[in-house]
Amino acid sequence: MSAAFLVYRRWIRDRRLSTISWTLGLVVIVVATAAFYPSLSSASSSLADGSGTASGGGSEAMSSLLGLSAGIDPSTPLGYLWIGLYANVLPWTLMALGVALGTAAIAGDEETGALEYLLSGPATRTQVAFARFAGAISILLLASFVAGLSLVLSMPLFDLADSVTTTASDGTTSTAPGASVGDIAAGTFSSFAVALGLGGVAFLIGAATGRRGITLGGASAIGIGGYVLYTLSSMTNSLEALTWVSPWRWYVDDVMLINGLTWNVALPFITAAVGLLVGSQAFLHRDLRST
Amino acid sequence: MTTAIQTKALTKRWGDFTAVDDLDLTVHESECYSLLGRNGAGKSTTARMLLDLIRPTSGSAQLLGGHGSDAAIRDQVGYLPGDLNLPRSMTANDAFNFYGGLRGPSDPSVRDSLISRFDLDPSRRVRDMSTGNRRKVGLILAFMSTPQLLILDEPTSGLDPVLQEEFRDLLAERKADGATIWLTSHVMAEVARVADRVGLINDGKIVKELTSEELRHQATTGITFGFEKPVASGAFDGVASVTAVKQDGTDMVVSLKGPVADVLKRAAELDVVRVETEQNDLDAIFIHLLSGGDSS
Repeated sequence: MSAAFLVYRRWIRDRRLSTISWTLGLVVIVVATAAFYPSLSSASSSLADGSGTASGGGSEAMSSLLGLSAGIDPSTPLGYLWIGLYANVLPWTLMALGVALGTAAIAGDEETGALEYLLSGPATRTQVAFARFAGAISILLLASFVAGLSLVLSMPLFDLADSVTTTASDGTTSTAPGASVGDIAAGTFSSFAVALGLGGVAFLIGAATGRRGITLGGASAIGIGGYVLYTLSSMTNSLEALTWVSPWRWYVDDVMLINGLTWNVALPFITAAVGLLVGSQAFLHRDLRST
Repeated sequence: MTTAIQTKALTKRWGDFTAVDDLDLTVHESECYSLLGRNGAGKSTTARMLLDLIRPTSGSAQLLGGHGSDAAIRDQVGYLPGDLNLPRSMTANDAFNFYGGLRGPSDPSVRDSLISRFDLDPSRRVRDMSTGNRRKVGLILAFMSTPQLLILDEPTSGLDPVLQEEFRDLLAERKADGATIWLTSHVMAEVARVADRVGLINDGKIVKELTSEELRHQATTGITFGFEKPVASGAFDGVASVTAVKQDGTDMVVSLKGPVADVLKRAAELDVVRVETEQNDLDAIFIHLLSGGDSS
């Protein structure tokens, strides 16, 4: 077996327990959110009508983040899943996992000294960097897949797969489809992608600096900063030009859970690839930090 | 004689701090070379540069005819860092399988015999082990692939005297098999027993290189002679081998380097009633040499 594969397999094995914990946590979040749909769908309906919406810039920003401004009805299964899960909780949790994995890949092990012993043997820095990045993708993909699968399996139990017919005050009726496997796959994949992009940023910082604290802080700041930037740009158009750095811009605007995948989903993959390549080069050319 | 390790003007600086300064040294194949110095003298930094874990500010380091950045060269090196850190979830068996696997197929009987020799329970997690047991894991990892070159940084730190002796035996066996050994330590008595040559390093510079023979010759003997009543202060003047004499009441403390027959004869002529001998500790010589003392 190649050194890269052995490093990949070992790194995943060393994270068995934490991977199980993250995945179970995601399943609990997803199923609990789905379970609330039957009881909250009517309350969400009033929000869609506008009666539950306060006036002012802050609420505009929030509406924008939740997708309400794009006409998403929270009383429908997909609208509820977007607002309750896919607009914030799921991508945030996956992004936290992405940052944790991107940090652990190089900086975490370097700070404990475990990386030094590995690199004193026949494994090369490039092999270690690529194998661990692949390990981070695998764990993130597994957690995302299980989260999506648990939603697909629990949807029929909580009426999320059923279409919903609503009657407006003028007597006209409209029917919204229930959530399908394709919708969940597209939404979950876009959440995985946004987490992978931030994980790639964490990998880059960790590989370049070898410092766990700086990596965690830097990647988290970029994730949170992007969110704040996007929120502020929803209130004032003057910041709009800066929001291209925010992963939330395409994630929220495109609402892939409802609208299906768009080409913008490639952006975080490009970010991750740049993180891998630039990070590996920086790692290759610097001193390893001693403990 | 083929060269196993060669450094030329090897220097490592971090800002204003110079960890290793213009280091030139050569270690031949099948030789046991020990770099001896105080904490922070530059021993571990040199070892880390040899393995390409850190890069020299200037100068070069060659290893087994190649460079430490070459994975194929590192494959032939067994390394024990001063502070061995392995992933927290690993058992010793996991570590042997994983790090051993990276080097390709190997004879499991070598590993098993080392486990038994160091009396280690390999099923335990490394994080739950004592310092000494973690050191055993590190030694087994370094030796189990029977590498051509061993780089051992403070190898016996944390080992009890019995295991230290076991380690020295193992080192002698591997040396007899033709392995080259690079050993760092701050305990002179330890290296004097296994090293062919010793380099004394201080503030990143080699201050002295000695063969083990020369090192042993550094040892001086102190003899205390007890008399019934004080003797003349010049009583041992002109006696061969005597380097210093100190009077302490009715006792005369004589330092000497070389044969003791003449000094014993003179003491007998003075009606000595008590004799105590003492061999100077090698560590005392180490301190003497590092403090700029003349070793000739």
